[in-house]
Amino acid sequence: MKESSTVPEEVKQRINWLLIFIIVSFCFLAINLWYLQVIKGEEFKERAVKNCIRSLVEEAPRGHIYDRKGEVLVTNRPVVVVSIIPEEVENLEELSKRLGGIIDLPEEVIREKVEKHSAEPFKPVEILEDCPLALTIEIEERKTELKGVVLEVKPRRNYLNQELAAHSLGYVGEIDQEELQKLGNPQLQGGDIVGKAGLEKYYDSFLRGKKGQKEVEVDALGREVATLFSQKPVAGNDLLLTMDKDLQTYAENLLEGKRGSIILSHPYSGEILVLANKPSFDPNWFTEEISYADWEKISLDPDYPLINRAVQSIYSPGSTFKIVTALAALEEGVTDSQRKIYCSGNFKLADQVFTCWKRGGHGNLNLIGALAHSCNVYFYTLGKELGVQKMGRYMDKLGLGEKVGIDLPAEATGVIPSPEWKQREFKEIWFPGDDVNLSIGQGYLLLTPLQMHSIICAVATAGDIYRPHLVKEIISPEGEVFEKTEPEISKKVNISANTFQLIQKGLRATILEGTGWQANTKELSLAGKTGTAQNPQGESHAWFVGFAPLEKPEVCITVFVENGGEGGEVAAPLAREMLEKYFNLPEPE
Amino acid sequence: MKEKLGKLVENLDYTLLSAVVILCFYGLLVLYSSTRSGLGSIPEDPFFYVKRQFLWMVVGFIGLAILVFIDYHHFVKYSSLLYFLTVFLLIIVMFFGRTTYGARRWLSLGPFDFQPSEFAKVALIIFLADFLAKNKLKLDNFLYFLWPFAYTGVLMFLVFIQPDLGTSLVYLAILIILLFVVGVKLKYLATVFLIALSSFPILWFFLLKEYQKRRIILFLNPQLDPLGGGYNIIQSKIAIGSGGFLGKGLLGGLQSQLKFLPAQHTDFIFSVVGEELGFVGAILLLGLYTVVLWRGIKIASEARDLLGALLATGAVSFLFFHIMVNMGMAMGVLPATGLPLPFLSYGGSFMVSNLLVIGILLNVEVHKIKW
Repeated sequence: MKESSTVPEEVKQRINWLLIFIIVSFCFLAINLWYLQVIKGEEFKERAVKNCIRSLVEEAPRGHIYDRKGEVLVTNRPVVVVSIIPEEVENLEELSKRLGGIIDLPEEVIREKVEKHSAEPFKPVEILEDCPLALTIEIEERKTELKGVVLEVKPRRNYLNQELAAHSLGYVGEIDQEELQKLGNPQLQGGDIVGKAGLEKYYDSFLRGKKGQKEVEVDALGREVATLFSQKPVAGNDLLLTMDKDLQTYAENLLEGKRGSIILSHPYSGEILVLANKPSFDPNWFTEEISYADWEKISLDPDYPLINRAVQSIYSPGSTFKIVTALAALEEGVTDSQRKIYCSGNFKLADQVFTCWKRGGHGNLNLIGALAHSCNVYFYTLGKELGVQKMGRYMDKLGLGEKVGIDLPAEATGVIPSPEWKQREFKEIWFPGDDVNLSIGQGYLLLTPLQMHSIICAVATAGDIYRPHLVKEIISPEGEVFEKTEPEISKKVNISANTFQLIQKGLRATILEGTGWQANTKELSLAGKTGTAQNPQGESHAWFVGFAPLEKPEVCITVFVENGGEGGEVAAPLAREMLEKYFNLPEPE
Repeated sequence: MKEKLGKLVENLDYTLLSAVVILCFYGLLVLYSSTRSGLGSIPEDPFFYVKRQFLWMVVGFIGLAILVFIDYHHFVKYSSLLYFLTVFLLIIVMFFGRTTYGARRWLSLGPFDFQPSEFAKVALIIFLADFLAKNKLKLDNFLYFLWPFAYTGVLMFLVFIQPDLGTSLVYLAILIILLFVVGVKLKYLATVFLIALSSFPILWFFLLKEYQKRRIILFLNPQLDPLGGGYNIIQSKIAIGSGGFLGKGLLGGLQSQLKFLPAQHTDFIFSVVGEELGFVGAILLLGLYTVVLWRGIKIASEARDLLGALLATGAVSFLFFHIMVNMGMAMGVLPATGLPLPFLSYGGSFMVSNLLVIGILLNVEVHKIKW
């Protein structure tokens, strides 16, 4: 049955050639496989893993800040952040062009940002924060051509009342190299947001919370398909302030157009209800990326809007300091309630003449009268008799020269002159004239409004200075009170009760018949002292310190207006308005 | 008749048949791995693709069985008819075809799509084998030698404009290999090659579509556009390379399971093999193909007559060209022409045409003896 094949030999030969060709080709494939999978296998394995595992940091929302009545002052709002993960980018130029076209950013800017962070290729580099919704959608839709671009929702600080209490609240910003080293917290990394000023800085470790971390597997379109590891972020603690938003707003309105501060606090607890400073700024500027030009504008503003004047700036206290001179003189027996001194308008010391602000002179005055009318000559006399050493002792007792201890960063301690200090600073000896200047709060002496406030608090409580504070409670994210600020006497001033009583009388007289009459309100037994501090910068600084009611002090107030003029003309009326607001008194006709 | 059938079944090349069956199941396994988590809009059934592929496999095997038992001398009588039917179908596609991914390749037949250009491969093998076996001597004349180019050229043109460069190249490959095997003068082939080469600029500037030119450029340098066309090749290389010696295990491929691979169930299914089954799995696959082609070559050289030898050679060249180009593309050593991998790639018409050419091989094999 079998027939021999009729296929020509020549054809069979060609078929054999075909077989050889096939074998050679397959060997070529096999060698390539060996090269790709065995020789280069490890390298490709790494690339495959990098291709699809993405490590993301989830920012913890910072704690909220509430005023004493629980009204929200600072919160967070979610913003969409457009970032690029350098590792996932395959052609940066192309990607920058595409993304730049969508978010309207020059491609070079995007490229530079990514290139700057090429040392950490797995960490998303922020390109645009607070991406508008429409653009977010477009990016999401065009994901395939935007490989390496990720959209993250991040909490951004939101100061609801813009400039309100800006100096107390402070602001946040990206951590810098110095802070990174100083804080030394392993949780912190470059790019983290930390408190830069105010309460945000002082309470940063409480507000900050704990970052979360997530490792996810992503598919070719960058969609998350599985979570490999996830640690939820822990929100920061909330702060409940002692500050009263309504009073604070009122105080800031009073200061509108001026440079100055108002402090209002409870003397028996140290709770600060108002800490107002003008000019101010909007902390929201700092949560967005602030341009260099804007930063320059704010930081070089001659009015220094960023400075918390009440806490960080030092000024001559002027006549408000007479309280301290009076305290020292009474305690040292240099004067008493009866001693009268004649004021002719001039005070001679060797060949120098010191004048009283009232050119014609006050005539005969006792201490109460001298306080009420702020007679310079009376205090020159006390100062000369006391000398700097004795006055210095009482400044010490009041805690001047140290920090008052408010819960805000960068508190200034003032300049407390002494012979040693003068020798050190000016290589000059202390002259009797310096005693005289010091007695009325002029000369070298410089204090912060908060320090002056601390003095009036000591007078109100007859010797107990409570540590001033802005935070009443620290509340955990679950709503439990984590830490409560108990009233704490930071300084017990060792001065007799009689002395304080006499001073209080003098301050009451100031309001009723003296230089502080413009602060007077019928319904309120206010005690206080005005000050008009001459200074080399120009117009005098206007001061007023006081407390009310006299019998049982409930609040202490300090009003300071930089280069504002007469204390009695400028500061006292502001104090009256503030107190009327506080005590809910009807506006005078 | 019954006795003859029994003898035929007895004489079947079971080595070849087993290799093909193993390849088919190997294919289903890999297909399952690459499609179980769904591909975009497809329903959630993880076996959706596997089921459809299996169905086509059954259809293919039925076709194969029928083809085996009709002596090839009978069906070559209709080779001209087959050829013109194919041309007709391709023209129909031109006007009524369904378009996917920018190419008009499919005819809708109820719930299934039918791809005439795939059956054209089988038809072309039969037509050319018949034509060349009959006119072997005339091929010494150079002008006559060009005739088969004309026939093939018509099909190539119709497919090329779909556009489907890959498939038109398959036609050309079948033709060239058949001409070589039938014994034409090598200088003729060389001449044609030179003409083709010199006409390349015309092709480049006037005929090739932008995306085809890009593919060639990207083959030469895939890093040029890693997110666009080059993306496929880079991702495929990463997938295969990262499989290493033993692979990441079925269903365990990072690249394939996360769909970094483009067309991972069709043109790039070999990347899934490489990633999940490693060097061992890829070599096993190559080994199975080697068995198929080796048996095919054996059948060709032991065929009863020239016609049988050419039919078998046609079948071998068709499979070989697909395997070579597909794997080469997946490994990034040959340009991406988008040709599927026999028995593995998803696609009904292709599966059926694969099994039909195996049918042709077995046919030639069992009919090497005149019963």
